[in-house]
Amino acid sequence: MKIKVTQEKLNKALSNVSRIAVGKVTLPILNNVLIRVNKKKVSLITTNLDMAVIDFLPVSSSEDGVVTVPAKLLAEFVSNLPKGETIEISSKDTKVTIKSGKYSSTINGALADDFPELPEINEKEAVIYKIGVDEFKNSIGQVIVATSNDLTRPALTGVFFNTYNQTLAIAATDGYRLAEKKLIDKVESEVKAIVPASSLQEVLRAISDDIEEVEISFNEDLVRFRLGEIEIISKLIDASYPDYKKLIPKDHKIKVTLDREELTRVTKLAALFARSVGGSIVCETKEPDTFLVKSIANEFGENDSMIETKVEKAGKVNLNSRFLLDALNVMEEPQITFEFSDHIAPILLKNKKDNKYTHIIMPLNS
Amino acid sequence: MYDVWKNALAEIEQKISPANFSTWFQDTSLISTKNGNVRIGVKNTFFVKQLRNRYLDIIKTALENNNVVINTIDFEVQTSSKVKPRSREITKTDIDLKSHVKNYAKTLKTESSRQTGLNKKYTLDSFVVGSNNDLAVSVAKSIIDSPGSRYNPFFLYGGPGLGKTHLVQAIGNELLRRNPNFKIFYTPIAHFYSDFIDAIQNGKGREFSRKFEKLDCLIIDDFQFIVGKEKSQEEFFNIFNDLYQLNKQIIVTSDRLPSQIKTVDERLATRLTWAGAFDLQLPKFEDKCAILKAKAELMGAEIEDEAIEYLAENVNTNIRDLEGELSSLLVMSEVRGLTPLELIENGSIYVNKTSKLRPTSPKQVVEKVAKFYNLPVKEMCGKSRVAHIKNARQVAMFLLSKELSLSTNKIASEVGVKDHTTVMHGIKKIEKDLKLNFTLRDEIESIKEKIYG
Repeated sequence: MKIKVTQEKLNKALSNVSRIAVGKVTLPILNNVLIRVNKKKVSLITTNLDMAVIDFLPVSSSEDGVVTVPAKLLAEFVSNLPKGETIEISSKDTKVTIKSGKYSSTINGALADDFPELPEINEKEAVIYKIGVDEFKNSIGQVIVATSNDLTRPALTGVFFNTYNQTLAIAATDGYRLAEKKLIDKVESEVKAIVPASSLQEVLRAISDDIEEVEISFNEDLVRFRLGEIEIISKLIDASYPDYKKLIPKDHKIKVTLDREELTRVTKLAALFARSVGGSIVCETKEPDTFLVKSIANEFGENDSMIETKVEKAGKVNLNSRFLLDALNVMEEPQITFEFSDHIAPILLKNKKDNKYTHIIMPLNS
Repeated sequence: MYDVWKNALAEIEQKISPANFSTWFQDTSLISTKNGNVRIGVKNTFFVKQLRNRYLDIIKTALENNNVVINTIDFEVQTSSKVKPRSREITKTDIDLKSHVKNYAKTLKTESSRQTGLNKKYTLDSFVVGSNNDLAVSVAKSIIDSPGSRYNPFFLYGGPGLGKTHLVQAIGNELLRRNPNFKIFYTPIAHFYSDFIDAIQNGKGREFSRKFEKLDCLIIDDFQFIVGKEKSQEEFFNIFNDLYQLNKQIIVTSDRLPSQIKTVDERLATRLTWAGAFDLQLPKFEDKCAILKAKAELMGAEIEDEAIEYLAENVNTNIRDLEGELSSLLVMSEVRGLTPLELIENGSIYVNKTSKLRPTSPKQVVEKVAKFYNLPVKEMCGKSRVAHIKNARQVAMFLLSKELSLSTNKIASEVGVKDHTTVMHGIKKIEKDLKLNFTLRDEIESIKEKIYG
């Protein structure tokens, strides 16, 4: 096996694939990256058996062959080589030699035979969506905050891709809050799949400036994200997702429009005092024009902040300040709506104009 | 079907490397073999292709050797949450088990007597003796034979859930059984001082102390909660002195030594440990197995040895947690109609209780020890034969070995001694000293607190 490639290209590819090649003590070969050259096509592959990252590397010249090398070591070595140089990687049996100008090193690799075979998307049966990269990145970011890391409820550790009313929506919930984003309108095919949050995070990290579009292909138990030269395949979480749409309240008694930045600021202020009571703050409306955010900490003191806005009905609700901040942080528009009805019904947050994003937070017992 | 797959796995295990076996076969199961259509459950889709392309032949041979007829082999993704409990005929043993568990629940309902405060369910017979508690138990037995003599007061300490309450109540119950006229009173310290305050408020302070003066044996539980209750402490001190003068047995439990409880009067602290302080330690693996077996037997439940070993290995906090996990496992097994081992193997039960102590680095341990003894690290880890420096070095060796389970060679390099034999000698010496030397024990406890705190 032999490839010639510039430092920049190789460095980028290796940093994409090497992130997941860590920590499996049971099967050491999973710490390695598989380098395969087949008819001038070069691919770098890593997997942790929940997902795999494949980078198709454009190279100036190559000879066929296959080998595996410790991914972290190779990535760090290459990243420290001078930029702009051409790097030549060649292998003889399991010895891998990397040469670049004055630098040269030999790394002990391992035979590719033990490297696991990866599942492949069945293109014929796959449900495929394409979406602009910015839209994708934003939307995933908006819902992934609400995923749970409670491994006893595997369904909630992922983001739920589902179609209803000809819309592809993504949703996540940890039982205390829920975020939903309508991703694509007027879709024909149907899908219901839970993608692990960890895999999506890896997809987000792999996005770089030169990528314009993300292609998502679903099989029954597998998903593939294609971003330019990178492919990320991941298992789907095999569990049934709760019928989350029932949780979104239909009508609320109290609705106010608030400036997002201002609400963020007063929530942060209130959160300072709310630390000792688990971040619990009180939001209160008073006619005709007062929205209050309060918090009380017995030992430190208390905090009251006021925002002026049109209020039609008085009311009060307790909620977790961290959840509110998380939500405000991922919303886009300067003006948002804040709706609630009483202590038990969830709080609903939306952008004022755009109706695609919904975030709900369960109130705390007062 | 379950056994067939187990046998097949045993065969496969011998043919491939352990790393490959544990990665690819650990979470597999045999779903069905109907009409020669073998269906194998796997963890996720990444396993399907690997098993099919690399291991199909091995699986096939292994199954055929177990007399399975094979037409096709299919792999299905099957996560543990999806595993449905297999229905099982309720056989006679199941019914027995059910009623046993119920009966046991009944006996668990506390039968504490108003007069003595003792709960009859705690007996010496049900206290499992192991290397972690044999000393305390033998002292308990000698108290039962001759109360108020050699081991008076009996001060018992140890972490939560290690059996302090059980042991002292068992002493009380046994004393009462042998001498029905014995006046015994068991009370947690919290009740002691709330009763005391009530008595004072009702102007019956005198009566309160008289009640204690007539006792033959006083058992005080959870003494550490005395913190900050100075008046009660004084009252207790007086009662203690009175009873002690009359050679009446006093038994006190606490989660730490009296000298480590901050606001305890020094006079009281020394008196409490006059006859020595005895500790209950965390049980070792074998002890835990014995405890679980005894407990299961008491409940009349059947549980496989493998299941017991699984629990013993995975619960590392204390005996209370151990028993808690055992009973939840048994209840689950009753509800689901599976044996405990089947529950564990199909992943319905996941136990992992480890102590919350932060892991720490050898360097930190060495530094903390040196700081505690006011020595520079360099001096402590040097060649000095001066007694107190040598002692500090040995304490460091001891802690490195017990807390971090380092090898003696590694320890030798950490504390700068010549070789592992010196380390072995040092650890042995501290272990020996610990049995007799209470100051040393205190010192080590407070170093531990510093390391983990």
